[in-house]
Amino acid sequence: MSGAAQDIAMKGSRATRIIIYTVLILFMIFYLLPLYVMLTNSLKPLDEIRGGDMLALPKNWTIEPWRAAWSYAQIGVEPTGLRPYFINSIFMVVPAVLISTALGALNGYVLTKWSFRGSGLVFGLLLLACFIPFQIVLIPMARILGMLGLAGTTSGLVLVHTIYGLGFTTLFFRNYYAAFPTELVRAAQIDGAGFFQIFWRILAPSSAPIAVVTIIWQFTNVWNDFLFGVSFADFDSIPMTVALNNLVNSSTGVKEYNVHFAGAILAALPTLIVYIVSGRYFVRGLMAGAVKG
Amino acid sequence: MARLKIENLYKAYGATEVLKGIDLEIEDGGFLVLVGPSGCGKSTLLNCIAGLEDVTSGDVVIGERSVTELHPSKRDIAMVFQSYALYPNMTVEKNISFGMEIRGVGKSERRAAIEGVADMLQIRELLKRKPSQLSGGQRQRVAMGRALVRDPQVFLFDEPLSNLDAKLRVDMRTEIKRLHKRMGTTIVYVTHDQIEALTLATRIAVMKDGIVQQFGTPDQIYNDPVNMFVADFMGSPAMNLLPGTVVAENGGLMVSLDGHEGEMLLPLPDSDALRGRMGQKIIFGIRPEAFTDPEGADRTSTQLEKRDCFVEVVEPAGSDTFAVVKLGGKSAVARLRADARISPETVTSLAFNMGKAVFFDPDSGERLK
Ligand SMILES: Nc1ncnc2c1ncn2[C@@H]1O[C@H](COP(=O)(O)OP(=O)(O)O)[C@@H](O)[C@H]1O
Ligand SMILES: [Mg+2]
Repeated sequence: MSGAAQDIAMKGSRATRIIIYTVLILFMIFYLLPLYVMLTNSLKPLDEIRGGDMLALPKNWTIEPWRAAWSYAQIGVEPTGLRPYFINSIFMVVPAVLISTALGALNGYVLTKWSFRGSGLVFGLLLLACFIPFQIVLIPMARILGMLGLAGTTSGLVLVHTIYGLGFTTLFFRNYYAAFPTELVRAAQIDGAGFFQIFWRILAPSSAPIAVVTIIWQFTNVWNDFLFGVSFADFDSIPMTVALNNLVNSSTGVKEYNVHFAGAILAALPTLIVYIVSGRYFVRGLMAGAVKG
Repeated sequence: MARLKIENLYKAYGATEVLKGIDLEIEDGGFLVLVGPSGCGKSTLLNCIAGLEDVTSGDVVIGERSVTELHPSKRDIAMVFQSYALYPNMTVEKNISFGMEIRGVGKSERRAAIEGVADMLQIRELLKRKPSQLSGGQRQRVAMGRALVRDPQVFLFDEPLSNLDAKLRVDMRTEIKRLHKRMGTTIVYVTHDQIEALTLATRIAVMKDGIVQQFGTPDQIYNDPVNMFVADFMGSPAMNLLPGTVVAENGGLMVSLDGHEGEMLLPLPDSDALRGRMGQKIIFGIRPEAFTDPEGADRTSTQLEKRDCFVEVVEPAGSDTFAVVKLGGKSAVARLRADARISPETVTSLAFNMGKAVFFDPDSGERLK
């Protein structure tokens, strides 16, 4: 009797499993399909795309579209490929991510362990920054960059992204440090450690999970940003996203879809790599924050 | 080593006053225990002594020096926290030597100091481990080691044993007492456990709502409480506090309690305070060990009063037997010898040691002497 019941339960759970996996596989195909299309078509000659089926594998495999996208395709008026813009983006992203993460960590440290009269308000205002639409700040920001002499420079973009990122980085670190035992800070004070010594020797070594979350978050946002790039960049500071747009829109006769696909993958590659390398820390860090915070 | 003095100390967080005029003094080498229910301000007071919280007004003096304005690291104190507060990313060794490292003490000197405390606390084999690899008792030892290595004027302990299991707590209690004997350093120790307070202290301050209710030796606190709060808080099982009425009988003062069959009369000491309460309600307080079987009663006492009592419940507890007696409309606990022959739901003769009885005003809770 109970054996039979167990049997039914087993069958039931197996059926559920099959359904779950089927749905998961369908979703996976759905999400991977665009990547597949981009990848296969970036490895075909152009006439093969125009002549035939987008979903077919290449008949003549070629990496020429990738070389074109990287080093000699027409971007706007210059036949430079995406390479210089990729480098622009790196010079913009790395400092922006590092500075905003470091400042966010310091903010979180102060807001939780050295809270002062009005620190709640300061945090509230910083949080508000997370919800201000980009479009609202464009014109004031352009003025400020102009006044600072940073208009059209990579440094200007670093500044904009750092400021815009602070709300989120502060939020992440504040919630993480709120769960960090204050008694440790007090013990270190009695041991004679100062403000930065406590941060550096006591909090920072335990901050890896939230630092990974913050870095991934900031890297993705800054790398993928288009609006600030298109608004504030000049010829020699145009980031990858804007350059990709220029590549696709450069109208010299035929649309080279294969080059465009290759360029799009190149533009997405860094964020993809960051996720693959540190994705599991990302999930773990988010969970840690969620449970403790 | 130094004496510690706290003068008229106030502490408020915004509009909430947490400490309301604390005056305490502990002599050089003394062991002061701050005891009181959770939330009464013990930790806040300790943090004010340590300098981890700024005082609103008042003064903290260590030795002959006012330290009220000094940074915690300059007060020559060491503190053991309730959570132990071991730095999670450092080994035991690093934890112990972190303070010395910050103060720029040389490597060989650090080494020697670490070995010294490691031997004293028997944690030598733990030195290379991280705190996460230690048991609760071991963490507690390391936390003590970190404090000991500073060799301060005053040790501050904030409920250091409350995270340990019962057996370990008793062991560590003895060990702390032994360390204190050996080093003779002044200690301020916070606990909500009145047994810890009574066993460790040379002086106890019983606190409630940010006010010191009574400050005295363990004997004074236990046997001569100034009010009902102190009487009730100290001692386990708690003192019996029974409502009664003051009456005159045969020329003497008596307290009349509601007994099992009508009133029960017990003689009162002849004092002005009690005579002034003639015909009024008072609270009659007697500790369970002063309310016992006649064979087990204190024979040196000249004021033993035997009365027939109705025993409701008997609770054998190994070393003692507790009897619950209906008295004064309340359940009073009597503490009997373990092998006292007594059965529930019977009338038994029990002895009140009136020399140990205390009396309180039922409204203010103040002691009537
Ligand atoms: N930072 C703070 N802000 C406001 N109130 C506090 C703060 N710290 C403690 N308190 C209040 O002070 C009172 C005493 O706290 P505490 O000293 O920790 O009590 P205890 O250690 O005796 O349990 C509590 O009522 C607590 O809510
Ligand atoms: Mg406390």
